[in-house]
Amino acid sequence: MDARQFPSLLLAAPHRWLRETLLQVLQAWPGGVTTADNHDALLVAAKAGTDIVVLTPFAFGMHGADLLREVHRVAPRVRMVALIPDDDGDYRLAALRGGADAVVYESQADVDLLPTLQTVTRAEASRQLRRRSSRARWVKEERPMDNPNPIAELLTERHVSRRSFIKWSAALGGAAALAGGGLKFGLEPLKSTGAAPAAVAGTGEWITAACWHNCGGHRCLLKAYVVDGVVQRVKTDDTHPDSVDFPQNRACARGRSQRQQVFGPDRLKYPMVRKHWAPGGGDKSLRGRDEWVRISWDEALNILASEIKRVKDTYGNESIMVTGGDITRALTLYGGYTTTWGTTSWGTWFYTGPKTGLGDGLYATSHNDRMDLRNSQLVVMWGANPAWSSQGNPTYFYQAAKAAGAKFIFIDPFYNDSAMILADEWIPIRPATDHALALGIAHTLITEDNPKTNPLIDWDFLNRCTVGFDKDHMPAGADSKENFRDYVLGTQDGQAKTAEWAAEICGVHPDRIRALAREIAQTRRVALLTGWAPARVNNADAWPQMFMTLGCMTGHIGQPGRMTGVSCWEKSANGGPDLVAAGGSGVAGVGDNPIKTVVNNNELWDAVLTGQYTAGYKSVKPINIQMLYHGMGSALNQKVGLVKGIEAHRKVEFVVSQTHFLTTNAKYSDLVLPVTTQWEREGYVKGNREVLMWARQITPPLYEAQDDMWVVREVATRLGLDVAKVDPLPLKQQVFNQIAGAKVAKVDGSGQEPLVTISEADMAAMGVTGKPQQGRISLAQFRDQGIYQVQRRPGDRLGYIAFEAFRKDPEANKLKTDSGKLEIHCKSIAEFVKNSGFDEVRPIPTYNKATEGYEDTFTDWAHKIKGGFPLQLYTIHYRRRTHSVFDNLPWLREAFPQEFIMNPVDAEARGLKTGDIVRITSRHGSVMRPVWVTERMMPGVVTLGEGAWSQIDETTGICQAGATNTLNGAIATGQGHQGWNSCNVQVEKYDGTLEPDATWPQRIVFPGASNHV
Amino acid sequence: MSKQLAFFIDQTVCTGCKGCQIACKDKNNLPVGMNYRKVYEVNGGGWQQVGGFWESNVFAYTLPVSCMHCQEPLCLEVCPTGATFKRDDGVVMVNEDVCIGCRYCEWACPYGARQFNEQTGVINKCNFCADLQAQGEPPACVAACPMRALDFGDLNELQARYGTTAAVYPLPSPSLTQPSIVIKAHPDARRATVETARIVNLEEV
Amino acid sequence: MRTEETALVLFTILGQMAVGSFVILGIVHWWAVGRYGTAKADKLADYALLAIGPVMILGMLASLLHLGNPVNAYRAVLHVGTSWLSREILLGSLFAALGALFALLQWFKIGSTILRGVLAVIAAGVGLAFVFAMARVYQLPTMPAWNTWTTTASFFVTTFLLGALAMMAAYVLSYLYLRNKDAEDVAGLRDMLGNVLRSLSVATLALLGIELVIVALGVVGLSRGPLEAIQSANLLATEFLSLFATRLILVLLGAGLFAFLLYRSARDLNRERAAFALVFAAFAFVLVGEAIGRYLFYVTSVKIGL
Repeated sequence: MDARQFPSLLLAAPHRWLRETLLQVLQAWPGGVTTADNHDALLVAAKAGTDIVVLTPFAFGMHGADLLREVHRVAPRVRMVALIPDDDGDYRLAALRGGADAVVYESQADVDLLPTLQTVTRAEASRQLRRRSSRARWVKEERPMDNPNPIAELLTERHVSRRSFIKWSAALGGAAALAGGGLKFGLEPLKSTGAAPAAVAGTGEWITAACWHNCGGHRCLLKAYVVDGVVQRVKTDDTHPDSVDFPQNRACARGRSQRQQVFGPDRLKYPMVRKHWAPGGGDKSLRGRDEWVRISWDEALNILASEIKRVKDTYGNESIMVTGGDITRALTLYGGYTTTWGTTSWGTWFYTGPKTGLGDGLYATSHNDRMDLRNSQLVVMWGANPAWSSQGNPTYFYQAAKAAGAKFIFIDPFYNDSAMILADEWIPIRPATDHALALGIAHTLITEDNPKTNPLIDWDFLNRCTVGFDKDHMPAGADSKENFRDYVLGTQDGQAKTAEWAAEICGVHPDRIRALAREIAQTRRVALLTGWAPARVNNADAWPQMFMTLGCMTGHIGQPGRMTGVSCWEKSANGGPDLVAAGGSGVAGVGDNPIKTVVNNNELWDAVLTGQYTAGYKSVKPINIQMLYHGMGSALNQKVGLVKGIEAHRKVEFVVSQTHFLTTNAKYSDLVLPVTTQWEREGYVKGNREVLMWARQITPPLYEAQDDMWVVREVATRLGLDVAKVDPLPLKQQVFNQIAGAKVAKVDGSGQEPLVTISEADMAAMGVTGKPQQGRISLAQFRDQGIYQVQRRPGDRLGYIAFEAFRKDPEANKLKTDSGKLEIHCKSIAEFVKNSGFDEVRPIPTYNKATEGYEDTFTDWAHKIKGGFPLQLYTIHYRRRTHSVFDNLPWLREAFPQEFIMNPVDAEARGLKTGDIVRITSRHGSVMRPVWVTERMMPGVVTLGEGAWSQIDETTGICQAGATNTLNGAIATGQGHQGWNSCNVQVEKYDGTLEPDATWPQRIVFPGASNHV
Repeated sequence: MSKQLAFFIDQTVCTGCKGCQIACKDKNNLPVGMNYRKVYEVNGGGWQQVGGFWESNVFAYTLPVSCMHCQEPLCLEVCPTGATFKRDDGVVMVNEDVCIGCRYCEWACPYGARQFNEQTGVINKCNFCADLQAQGEPPACVAACPMRALDFGDLNELQARYGTTAAVYPLPSPSLTQPSIVIKAHPDARRATVETARIVNLEEV
Repeated sequence: MRTEETALVLFTILGQMAVGSFVILGIVHWWAVGRYGTAKADKLADYALLAIGPVMILGMLASLLHLGNPVNAYRAVLHVGTSWLSREILLGSLFAALGALFALLQWFKIGSTILRGVLAVIAAGVGLAFVFAMARVYQLPTMPAWNTWTTTASFFVTTFLLGALAMMAAYVLSYLYLRNKDAEDVAGLRDMLGNVLRSLSVATLALLGIELVIVALGVVGLSRGPLEAIQSANLLATEFLSLFATRLILVLLGAGLFAFLLYRSARDLNRERAAFALVFAAFAFVLVGEAIGRYLFYVTSVKIGL
C-alpha cells in the first residue's frame, strides 16, 4: 500500500502544545497530517475530506459527545479517534457514545496513538474493501493489513518523550474534564495498601519550589516531588532535625495546596479578547459578562501595543493608569503613565511609624528578635492574630515565649486562634477604638503615677528619649500647649481622657482599663506588640504614635524582654535586620516616570468616574483615565470601593490583565494575557530573617503562558522602545546575582560574609557571568538543599534588641526623626497629613473619630440611638487565601468556607443560626454569605475574610462570594491609607440558597463561552 | 500486643490551621469531600452585660482527628469482608480490593475516620502513612504541623511521655474502641461538656 | 429520601416480609391441612408460597444497590466470625436457597410430606435467624438509638405483621384465581379463606398491640438514654414528627381498623369484594407504614463520637 492509499489525518486540538507534541509523533505519517485548532476549522477540514480525525473532543468548550456527533454529521465517513483525559471512565463512555471509533488516553498518547491508528486504519481499509467488493466482486485486492505496515516502523521510534506527555496530560486533564460538563476534580485517592507512590519509591526528584505569595507568613520551605515533569507530592522543611531554637520552616495549608494552583484546570490557557471589544472599547458595558475569543499571542500583543499607542496619542500618557507590574519599565520609556499612591497593608504605620520614630513593621522593625521575646514577662498582643495573618513559624515563636513563662493578653474584637492557645486574658474591644483605650491607659498612668510611692511612668526614658510628652519637653518651635499630657488631662479642651471616657467608646470596662494600665506599667519586662490591623482604620493617622507613646511612658523599649512596636506579617515575633539576605538582581532602573500624576488608592475609581482627583492641600485636579493596565496584583478586588471599581472598569476605553486565572481584574478586562507562575520560571530567591531559599523551576510553562517580562518585552518591541533597557538581564542571571550577592551574618556577630562559594565552573554550568567568590557553602549545596538557615541558639551573638543603643545614649544614636528622638509631638506627620489633602491632624496623638467607626453606627450618639447600619464590620486576613491569591483552590475552599462571623447576641436578635445565608449591607454595597455564629466574636462586631473573588449576581447586584471591598467604601482620610477595619453594616437573613464555595464550578474559560462564571 | 503505633495530639498548641489536613490530602491525593485527618473546633461560654459592658467567659479549642488505629477497632469487628485488618504494628488498614463499600464501618467508627470514595465505591482511610514510615519518614500530618502539635510513636512510649488522656470533649469514651491516642488536653477542654460546649465547624469536617 | 436509606429500607422490609410470610404460611398451612386435608390446603398455599420467592429476591437485589462496589458482594460473607453483617447475608442467602428448594419440592410434590415439612421448618428457622442477625447488625455500641432490644423486637413484629398481611393478600389472590379455574370447590375454599382471614386478622390486631408497646417503650428508652439517644428522640419529636405520625396512623388504620372490620366481615364473606378490599388496603397501609418506620429508624439514628 503506498502513501496515496494511506488514510489522511486531521489533528484537531485547541491546545497548541498538544498539537505540536502530537505532530512530532505523527510527523512521518504517510497519509499526511493537517491540523485544526478550533471548532470551525475542525468542521471545515473534516468536511473537506479527511479520513481520520484525531481530536480532543472535550477540549473545545462544548460537550465532547456533541462535538463528535457534529463531526459525524458533516463528515459521515470520517473515522474519529478521541483523546480523552486520564482518570475517568465517563469520558471514555461519552466519547464512544458520541461515535468515536477509538479512544486513547492523553497521557498514553505517545505510546498508544499509533497502534490505535493502525487498528483504525485496518478497519478503515477492510471497510473500503468490503464496499468495493460489494460493487465489484471480481476485483481481487490484497488486504492492506497483510502488507508491510509503515506504522509498525513508526512505532519503533519514540518521537516524544513520556515526560512531556504526562505533563500536559496532568495539566490539561482537569481542564478537559470540565469542558465535558460537570465539575470533576480529577484526583483519585491513592490506595492505602497499594504500591508505594513514586514519591516513596524514589524515582523522581525533590526540588525546592517557590512559595512566592504576599502571605504575611514567615517564608516557609516547600519542596515538590517531580516525576517526569509532574508534581506528585509536596512536603515542607525536613532538611535538618527540628528544634525550637533551630526550627524547620514548616509551610501552611495554602503553600501545601500550591499544586492545585499551578496545575489548576482554571489556569488561563491562551490570550483572549472580549468578543464585543473593538478599538476604543466596543460595547464596554459587557465587561465582566461578555464571551471570550481566543487569539494568538501575536494578535494579543498587537492589540495591546496599538491601544497603548492610541490612548497615548489621543489623551496623553496621563490617561494610562498602571496598577502594577513590569510594564512600568516600558511605559517610563514611552512617555510615562499614571499610578496610585497610599499604603495598603500597613494602614497608617508606613508613614506615621517612621516619622515619629518607630519602624513601619516590615522595612524597619521596632521589636526584639524571637530569642529575646522569651525574656518578656508580659506580652500584649494588640490587634494581632499571627495564627491567621503570619502563618509558618511565628505563632510557634510566641508559644516558645509562653513556654518560657510569659503571660499573654490579647486585645481584639475576636477571641482569635492565636488567643485560643496563647491568651491568659482576652480583652474584647470594638474595632477602630484602640486609640481611645490607649488614652484611657495613658490617663490612668498619668493620674496614678507617683515617682516615689507608685512609679508607673518611666520619667527617665521620657526625659532622655522623647519630645512632646509635656510642656517641658517640647521640640524647638512647637506651641507648648500642644503637649500630650495636657491633652490627656483635658487641660485645654475640658475633656479628660479618663478610663470612663475611653470605656464608652471602646467597650472595655473602665476598671479593666485601669487594671491593664497598672499591669503593663508595673511588670518589669513587657512586649507591647501590635499588628497593622488597628491602623487600617479611617482617620487612624495618630494611632501608631499613640502606641509608641504608651511604650515611651512605660519605658518598654530598648532593653531585653522590653519592646514596643509592630510585630506582624513577615516580621511577626522576630524583629531585627536579616541575618541572611539575598543580593540585588542587578537589573538597572529605567529612570523616573515622566508623568508625576499619582492618584490616591481611595480615589482611583472616583478619578475614572468623575475626572478629578485630590493632588494635595486644597488642590483638586482634572484627570482623564482611559486605560487600566493590570500588570500584576488584584487592584479591582483588593482596593476599597469595589462597586465603583466595576463601574470604572466599564467606563474606560481599554482594560488589560496579565494573570494566571480569571481573577476579578481579568474578568472585567478587554484583553487577558496568561502568564507563568514562579514554578514555571527560572528560579526565585526569598527568605526571612534567618533563612534564604533558592527555589528552582518545577515545570516548563503550561499551556501558552509566558513570563510577565516576556509580555513587557514584546510590547516594548512593538512600541519601538529599547528592549535591552527595558529587560536588560535574563532571569537566570538575575537569580544568580541574588545568590552571588547573598550575605550572611558572621557567627561572632561582627559583620557579614558571602553566603555562597562560586567557581568559574559553577558559572559556566549555570550559563551566567560573574566573579568567583568564597562563601560559607557551595553553590551545589545551596542548589540541592534549596535553603540556608542560620543556626540560632540562646545567648548567641545574633540576637536583636530594638533601640538598645538609642536608649543608652540617645544623643549619640539619633533616630531619623526631625528631633532625633521618639516624637510624641511630631510636626512632620501633621504636615504630611495636611499635604495629602483630605483632612488634618494635630502633631500629638489625639483621638480622631473614625469615619464609619463605632460612633457612626449611631444616629444619635448622646442618646445611643442606633442607625441603619448598627454593626461594625472589620475585615480579616482569612486562612483560605493570601489576600485574593488561592481563593480558587478546592482544597482550601473545603477547609475554609469564607463564613461570616457573628456573635450569638446579634444573631439571635436577627433570628439567625449557623449556616443561615445572610445578606450583609453597608452604605456602599451588599454581599451574601453563610453565617457562623460564635461566642468568640464580641457583640456588635462582625467580620468577614478579605480577598474572596468578587462574584456579582447581575440581577440583584449582591456579591455572592463575599468580597469585602464590596462593603468597604472608598473613603479618603488622613494620609490616604485604606480604612478596611472601619465599616458599618446591617445583617439580615437572606431568603435564598447559596451552595458551599467548595462546590462552585471553577472559573474555567473556553473561548466562545460566557465568562460569567 | 507487642507494638501499637499511636498519634499524639497537643491541643494546647493547635491553632486549627489545617496544615495537617492539606498535607494529608496532598500525600494521598484526596479530592474534596474526603479527609483522613480533620480539625474540629469546639466553642463554649457566653456573654453577659455587667454595668453596661459586655463580659465574656468564652472558650475555644481545636481537635485534630484522624483514624485512632484502635486497639479494639469496631470497624474491624463489623467489616463483613475482612477488608479491614490490623497490622502487627497496630495500624488499621483497609484492603480496597476486597472492600464492597457497604459503609457499615462508617456507622461503627466513633471517630469519623472512614471515608467513602465516590469514585471507586469503596472505603478509604488513614494508613498512618505506612509507606512513608517504611522509609523512616514520619506521617505527612506529623511532619507538616507548624505548631508541632502532632507526634507519633509506640503507644506505651507516648503514654509514658505525655500521659494517658485518650478523650476530651467531643470524643467518645475510650472504652468503646480503645483508641491508640494520647492527648495533651487544652486547659479549656476540662470545662467542656455536652452541656457547656459544642462542635462549631461541622460544615468543615 | 437518600438513596442509601432507600436500598436498606427495601432490603430489610422485603427480607422480613419474606421470612414472616414463610413462617405464617407454614402455620396457616399446617392448620389448614389438619382441618381441610392436604390437597385442599395445598391449593391455596402453593400459589402463596410462590409469591414469597420474588419478594426475597427483590430484597436481596435491593441490598446490592446499597453497595459501593457490588462486584465484590460475594465477599460479604467472609467475616462471619465476628461480623453480624456477614451472618445476616449468609443467613439471608441460606434462607432464600432453602425456601426456594422447599418451594420447588412443594410445587412438584417431590419427596415425602415429612421431608418437606422438615425442610420447611429448617427454612423457617434459618429465616428467623436471618431476622435476628439483621437486628443484631444495628446493635452497634456507637448507635444508641439502635443498640437496644427494641430493634430486635420491632424487626420481629414487622416480620410477622407484614407476613400475616402479605399472606392474607396472597390467599385472597389465590382464591380469586382458583375460583374461576376450580369452580366446583369454591365453597370449601371460601370457607377456608374466611377462617384464615379471621385468624390472621386477630393475629394482626395482636401484633399491632405489641408494636405500639414497643414503639412507646422505644421512645421512652431513647429519652432516658445517652445524649445521642436523646437527640434521636428529639429528631422524632421535631424534624420527623409528621412522618412519625403518618407512620402510626397508617399502621393503626391498616392493622387496626381494617383488620378489625375484616375480622367482622370475614365470618361468612357475604360481601366478598369489601372484605378483599380491606385485605389489600390493610396490607398496603401497613407496608407503607412499616417502610416509613424503617426510614425513620435510619434517619433518626445519631452516632456517638464524631
